[in-house]
Formats: sequence, structure tokens, C-alpha cells
Amino acid sequence: MALTFILVPLVMASLLPLIGKISKRLLPDVLSNIVLLFLLLYTVFVGRQVVILNAGFQQLFWFGEKLNINLALDGFSVFMLLVISLVSFAVGLFSINYMERYGSKSIYYALLLIMIAGMNGLVLATDLFSIYLFLEVAAVASYALVAYGLKHDELEASFKYLMLSAVASAFILISITIIFGFTDSLSLRNIAYGFAVLNSKYVVGFCTALFIMGFGLKAAIVPFHAWLPDAHPSAPAPISAMLSGVLIKVSGIYAMTRIFLNVFGLTPAVSTVLLYLGVISILVGAIIAFNQNDMKRMLAYSSISQIGYVILGIGLGTPLGIIGGLFHLFNHAIFKALLFLNSGAVEMSTGTRALDKMGGLAKRMPITAATSAVASLSIAGVPPLNGFWSKLIIIIALVQAKQYGFATIAVLASVITLWYYLVIQRRAFFGKINDVFANIKDAPFWMSVSMIFLGLLCIAFGILFPMLIKSWVTPASDVLRLSFNYAINFFRF
Amino acid sequence: MILHILLLIAVVLFSLLAILLRDLLKSAISLAVASIFLSIIFFMMNAPYIAVFEISVVAGLITVLFISTVALVKKEEEVKESKLVNYLFPVFFVLFIIIDIFVMKSLIGRLCVIKGPSPLGNFSQVFWKERTFDLIGQIGIIFAGVFAVIALFRKVNSDKDKDNHE
Repeated sequence: MALTFILVPLVMASLLPLIGKISKRLLPDVLSNIVLLFLLLYTVFVGRQVVILNAGFQQLFWFGEKLNINLALDGFSVFMLLVISLVSFAVGLFSINYMERYGSKSIYYALLLIMIAGMNGLVLATDLFSIYLFLEVAAVASYALVAYGLKHDELEASFKYLMLSAVASAFILISITIIFGFTDSLSLRNIAYGFAVLNSKYVVGFCTALFIMGFGLKAAIVPFHAWLPDAHPSAPAPISAMLSGVLIKVSGIYAMTRIFLNVFGLTPAVSTVLLYLGVISILVGAIIAFNQNDMKRMLAYSSISQIGYVILGIGLGTPLGIIGGLFHLFNHAIFKALLFLNSGAVEMSTGTRALDKMGGLAKRMPITAATSAVASLSIAGVPPLNGFWSKLIIIIALVQAKQYGFATIAVLASVITLWYYLVIQRRAFFGKINDVFANIKDAPFWMSVSMIFLGLLCIAFGILFPMLIKSWVTPASDVLRLSFNYAINFFRF
Repeated sequence: MILHILLLIAVVLFSLLAILLRDLLKSAISLAVASIFLSIIFFMMNAPYIAVFEISVVAGLITVLFISTVALVKKEEEVKESKLVNYLFPVFFVLFIIIDIFVMKSLIGRLCVIKGPSPLGNFSQVFWKERTFDLIGQIGIIFAGVFAVIALFRKVNSDKDKDNHE
């Protein structure tokens, strides 16, 4: 059953190029959006039930023979699946209109679905090598999608992304081999058990350092962030939304969190390192974002900054901190995806991403401007939108843990965030309209639907956040709170 | 033991050459040589299947692909090796060996290791039964690679023309 999350998109992806021969646009659009809608509904209804019943650990059979596929559909996995499927559903709708000008939609959707299958596989895997493998599935698809425009900049950005990701993969793989050498197993349960028995903190420390470098590169935490400001803006807008909204979180934050908290157990030293990395990311991302003229590049730097908040919350390791970090991860996925989709709509209408050429677009593009305002206020942490609550929880958790310095920086950076998002709003959507853009139109139907969908989510989760936290975030944080005992006790197959 | 170390040094040496050489042809060949040494190490360490894969795929197939690509792309002029290689190469090599020795010296023998249950069985059992989930991942990677090639080598303009004609 958990395998549905991987097999459905994978099978559809393999069929799409053939379907593309029959129908160039209609069938790929319809079929892939049906798959994405199905994944969303399946996560919301079935996944949720599985978590309530605690039935997510199951043995699969194939012609009566036991298959060695151990998937964990627990609170944390289902939470991540919700993030993936929500954003990918909106991205799928947006692509219907937006990808017209790129051509060969069937291949585009096939790559998108493979990326989603890879991320779903990563989230469900309970085996270190499978985590690595599915990380690569998602990554290989994303290299091609970043370069999808085939212009010089895009190819260069994709190559840079590929090279730095290869370095990240090398670090992750080295760490996995060392762990395999010491514990003679790759399953998370046996590794957690093995390190608990071995009590060898140097090995764990060395592997943790390698994982921080590897997954940190994937998550674009600050010393390892060089690829992101090139790769994310170069991709087509829906893919930027997918990369910034979901991929860096799944392949970086999720993998790191699962391994550090559920397998190794978070030690004070690792917690401190993560807190410092988080704070540096917040500051550096925010300060560099401040001076950008390219709209998408500014959003990309802002992603680095917001990822810092997530790391800050999860790295703190207290129950409230984990809830805040995960909630911010969820919120950031939604509003950053929305902001990238907005930038795509603006780019499609005006043909430019340079903020100094825009101005007064609100009159011509009311839907884009309105949703962008919601997302900007939300990411800056203005009440009652969802970003406010998650930042508030993180800051309260920091104060509770007596980390006043980190809390102060988090508050200050939030002010900087508000500042540069207001700058985007003012320069792009308000003021006098540029004469060149006097006759532009707002985004086409499906793009508008997708942006309104995400905008409404921002408002809804701002108002109804206790419900979201109770039914989705708390089960995830419960999993992480149990530390390595969780993997030992629950990953029995 | 000494043979192992010599082989490992050879692997590192040729891998470094593969990175540092400017001439792509030479670089591809040194990569192949490195992987041949690596496969000998695999064979000596009781991993014959990996050794076969390493020698046939990495040393054979990939090198053929690299060299044919280089031959297709290459201009006729000679590539001059950078002078930097002469200085950088020994430095890199010595640095690598020193770091390697330090890390390994602190790891090997000092730390206890869990010994798992008896070996998992033969190759096909491990491949098909133990690592079934990885097969799905491999299928995913293959699809991703194939579609990536199709996507990156598609013709953007002619596609648009065709659409206009339809």
C-alpha cells in the first residue's frame, strides 16, 4: 500500500512519452494532473488513517513469497508526503499553461513524476542505501528539469548543480559505507541498535559530520549553498517551486532529521552545530537576498534564509522546537512555491525577471499581485498568516531553551525578511506602471487556479493552524521525539 | 597487506591524474586504469561480482563511451598540458596520503565493530530478495536518465514549428 506512492507516479512517468506520441498536450496534462490529485487525496485520506491506526509498517508479498521491501508510513513520512503532494498538485496545475512555450510536455511531466516518485521513495525508505538511491532518483530528474529551457545559463546552472550534488552524494556514500562497516547493516533499525550497543561516539561524530556536509549541500545550508542561487532561478517556474518548496526539504532536511534524530539520537554537540548553521543560513540568506534585482534570485536566497529557520527549530531538539521547525517547513513549502509561481506568471506576462523594469503590475495582474502579497506577508511572518505562527513557535521554543541570542537573531532576520519582501511588492506590483507593460494580461486560467489554491492555503493554515498542528505536525514530532528508540522499537519488520 | 596498499596508491594516483590532466583522452584512459586497479582490489577482497562489474562497466563500457565522445567532439589541435599539473599533482597526492593515513590510523583497530549474522547468501539472492526495494529505485534512475537525455537533446525550435503547423 505504501508502495502506491512510488509506483503510481513511476508507472505513469514511463507511459507518458508513449502517450505523448498520440496526444501532444491534452492527455499528458490530464493524466499527470489526475495522478497528482490522486496522490494528494491518497495522502490526506489513506495516509492519515494509517497514522491513526499505527499500521504503517507492513510486509509485502509477491506470489506468496515475502518481499524484502520495508516501508515505514509513520507520522513523519505522512507529513512529508503531504508537503510533497500539496506542492506538486499546485505545480501540476500551473504547468498546464506555463509549460506550453517549452514544448514536449509529456517528457516534462514524466521527469516531474519521476522526481516525485523519488522523493516519495526517500520519505518511505527505512534503509540507508535506499534513502541514498531515491535521493539520486529525485536528483537526476531535477538536473534535467533545471536545464529544461536549454539556454546557456540554464545549462550552466544545471551543470553546477550536478557537480556540487555529486560532491554531496560522495560524502553521503562515504558515510554510509563507514556505517555499514561498523554495524554490518544498512537498515535504520539495526544501525540505531548497533550504535546504541557499540557506544562509539567518534564514529557517530565522523559520520554526522559527513552527513551534515552531504545533506547540508542538498538542503543548501549556508557554507554549502553555492549551487542554489543559480539552479533555482534558472529552472522553469513550476520546477523552481518544486525545488525550493519540496526537494531541498526532502533530500536535505528530511533525510538529515530522520538520521540524526531517529537513528543517531541528537547529541548536544550536533544540536549546537545545527543551531549555528541555521543562524548563519538565516543571516547570510537574508542579507544577500536584500540586494538582488532578479526576482527569482531573490526568492532563491530567501529560501536559504528560511531553511535556516527550519534547521534552527529542528536542531534545537526540544518538542516545541521540532513542532515549530516542521510547521515552518510545511509553511515554507507552500508560500515559497506560491512566490515562485507568481514570479513565473510575472515572467510569462512581462518577459522579464528584473525588478527595476517592473512596476505597477497590480493593476494589470490583480490575481498574481494579490496572491503574491499574501505569500510575501506570510513568509515575512505577519499575523494571522501561517508563517507568523511557525516563526513564533520556533522563537518561543528558543526562548524556552534559554537560547536568547539565537532567538534575537531569528526575530531580527524576520524583520529583514519583511523588508525585502515589501521591496519586491513595491517594485513589482505597486507604483507607476511601465508603458511597455500597458497591455499585458493576467495569468491564464489554470495558473490562476493554482496560485489561488496556494494563497488560500496560506490563509487557511494561518487561521486553522491548531488543527494542522494537532492532526499532522504532532504525529511527526512524536516520531522524532522518541529519538533512536523509535527506530529500534518501531522499524521491526 | 603491502600489495593492497600499493594497489590503493595506484588507484589514487590514476584517479588524480584523471582529474588533473587537460587532455580528455588521456584523462579517460587514466580513469580506466584506476578502475582496473580498483577491480583487482575488489577481487582480492572477495567481491568477484563487483570486480566484474567494475572492470566491464567502468573500465570497459564507460571508457568506450568517453573516448568515442571525445573523438566526436575533439578539435584537431594538440592539447597542451598545464604546467600546474607538475606542481599540483605531487602536492595533492601527498596531502591525500597524509590525510588518509591519519584517518585510517585513528579508525582501524581502535574501534569495535559489530559482526553481522552469517553471510547473506549468494549474489542473486541478495540482489533479488534482500534489496528488492533498490530495484525500484534503479528503475527510477534509469527512467530519469533516459528522459533526461530525451529532454536535453530535444529540438526546441522545430518542436514549436511543428506545433504551429498542427
